[in-house]
Amino acid sequence: MKKKQLFAAVLSVAMMLGLVACGGNGTSTSSASDSASVSSASSTSVSASASSASTEEKKEPVTLRMAWWGSQTRHDRTVAVIELYEKLNPHVTIEYEPMDFEGYFNKLNTLVASNDVWDIFQMGSNFPTFQSKIYLLNDFIKDGTIDVSGTTDAFLRIAADAQGNQVGLCSGVNTYGIAYDPEIFKQAGVAEPTENWTWDDYKKICLDIHSKLGIYGSSKFDDWQAGGSSGISQEGFEYGFYNSDNTGLGFTDYKMLANYMQMRADLVDAGAYPDPGACNEISDIEQDFIVSGEAAMTWVASNQFVALTNAAGRELKLINPPRKTANGPSGITIQSSQMLCVSNDSKHPDEAAKFIAFFQSSIDANKILLAERGIPTFTAVREALADNLTDVEKKVYEYVDLVGSFDTGGKPYNPASPECGEAVKEQYKYYLEKVIYKEMTADEAAKAVYDYAASQF
Amino acid sequence: MSKTKTPAVVSGRTPWNRFAYNNNTVGYAFAAPFIIGFLAFTIIPMLTSLYYSFTDYNMINKSNWVGFSNYINLFKDERFLKSVGVTLQYVALSVPIKLAFALFIAFLLTRPSKLVSVYRSLYYLPSLIGGSVAVALVWKELFSRKGLININLAKLGLPTVNWLGSMTAAKWPIILMTAWQFGSSMLIFAAGLKEIPTSYYEAAKIDGANGWQIFWKITMPCLSPVIMFNLIMQLISSFMVFTQAFVITTGGPNDATMYYALYVYKQGIQMRFMGYASAMSWVMLLIMSAITAIVFKTSKHWVFNESES
Repeated sequence: MKKKQLFAAVLSVAMMLGLVACGGNGTSTSSASDSASVSSASSTSVSASASSASTEEKKEPVTLRMAWWGSQTRHDRTVAVIELYEKLNPHVTIEYEPMDFEGYFNKLNTLVASNDVWDIFQMGSNFPTFQSKIYLLNDFIKDGTIDVSGTTDAFLRIAADAQGNQVGLCSGVNTYGIAYDPEIFKQAGVAEPTENWTWDDYKKICLDIHSKLGIYGSSKFDDWQAGGSSGISQEGFEYGFYNSDNTGLGFTDYKMLANYMQMRADLVDAGAYPDPGACNEISDIEQDFIVSGEAAMTWVASNQFVALTNAAGRELKLINPPRKTANGPSGITIQSSQMLCVSNDSKHPDEAAKFIAFFQSSIDANKILLAERGIPTFTAVREALADNLTDVEKKVYEYVDLVGSFDTGGKPYNPASPECGEAVKEQYKYYLEKVIYKEMTADEAAKAVYDYAASQF
Repeated sequence: MSKTKTPAVVSGRTPWNRFAYNNNTVGYAFAAPFIIGFLAFTIIPMLTSLYYSFTDYNMINKSNWVGFSNYINLFKDERFLKSVGVTLQYVALSVPIKLAFALFIAFLLTRPSKLVSVYRSLYYLPSLIGGSVAVALVWKELFSRKGLININLAKLGLPTVNWLGSMTAAKWPIILMTAWQFGSSMLIFAAGLKEIPTSYYEAAKIDGANGWQIFWKITMPCLSPVIMFNLIMQLISSFMVFTQAFVITTGGPNDATMYYALYVYKQGIQMRFMGYASAMSWVMLLIMSAITAIVFKTSKHWVFNESES
């Protein structure tokens, strides 16, 4: 009896192991030929068995994994492009993971630690942190796997590191701005902002709208961008939060951070800006208070403006963020909104690169994507889309052109943020909340942020 | 080792057979799934985290040995000290509320009724689903500025509360959600209540004791070993509070709900100071062990033990 039980147990364990081993190879009908063809594609006997699995072409099946962050609109469109690519390239299967921004980077951090990053992944200006995981595209561009003849060197450079290595292909250019509801401005009897408006104007508008209509003057801002990053750049062309090669801070007077913090605290106090609890209710752009009509203005990246307008269902306008002085620098610039990168952990970097090239340069693909990630960098794509722009999309193009016309003081654009960027951003938000809840003065908080950031180098 | 116990089964023809049909071999074979899981998912990660707590590991670059500096920095980190404070406050508030509520419902359900088992299942339900993100999201909606709670407060003519924006109010949605998951404590209390001999109650009634006296003089002492068990279990799980705070408040406002586990996550996963976060986890283990030890030490003064009396 015991003998039989043990035997059964051993058998069932063996069977489970077998099942697990099969599962790893995915959906393919002949898993044996699959794994063999991956390991040694050149041997003739294997290619014979592989050709029976794939239909017309003698290409071995490839599975790529891809992930990105974004809103529901982006998820739907990206999935549609993936399906299109799979139809055109039957040997490629792409497994995808759409995520929100925070979840994306938390997952990426753990995948980096386990050397298991997605083959194709989306990256922003924080790419230097993950550079060890990025497969450079230089060789693919040289050997023509990625055809870059349709774009310009300037557009390639916004997705390259300081040494000129191509870390990814830009998905589109964008810039930051303020979306506002002209109808609410009219109701409150407040003049609409102009491109030379200042933070003092902004504060006054917020308070006026709040006192007249009882709603928030402004919805949630990206405080780090508004007060930290571009806040310092607005002080003068020679300043930036980090210096141009990311080896230290780009300013010396911590007081440059204080004004924004003080203003934010004052606005929350007055009820003209949502408190941190209310801000926490906004988890993506579709839930912004400007959508529900509870706020007159909000902070957006220009490529989000279409989704925001669609969610609001009424006319919104786009203007650059307020400046520190009416004739001072705008603090913002045209940048790569994000790019697609190939991972060093990928077993098929060439296939991943082919997909990225398709994604960024195919007119068919971009007719599905509709510049949701920013204005495309391939000339043919941009021209193809320009024919059928909606009024809302036209506003975005006009706005990006406007920002492009701003004086940048001849300073070269630095697409990268340093490795400590995430921690500094977090610390900035932490001290800002302390000012809002009156546990610190704006001056103390500004000094604390400065000291923390300086200690990271 | 205990070969002599199973002479009937051991055929003893070959050494292999003797090995394979030995009781210990069979025992270990069946325990293997647990042993492997315990090693792979508990012991090895724990030892790795102990090692990382002495390094500046950040998941991307090679880690360097930094000695005790992570532990020393912890006690200079005001944010860490505050998170210890709010966690202790949360434990001190949520555990008594939850246990009192569980005991109260368990007490009600000792009444003889045909529907008792139905009620028990119903009250247990929140414990099954309560830990999920979905319920936490519902909770966030309920307590939002224009959520159901505030709508009803307004309808009753009461002042509304800015639950998630006020540093003093923000802990209550989380504490209430914890207390709401009282089901497993309730079941254990209900079993404990059944164990108390009815003769004690009959004797007390004959002596003229009222309900209140019976509860404090008979029910509570007889139930104290069960209370002790529930207390320890709830203390440990409360210290590890994460999901509710992560989803409902994300630690805010101004760190009013930045509980220990949430801060570990923030430092380790979000800011990528994995070595620092590992050190924090080990300090948490020490704090929890200390508090559990205190409860055990003091237990002989308040836990009734039949064999000793």
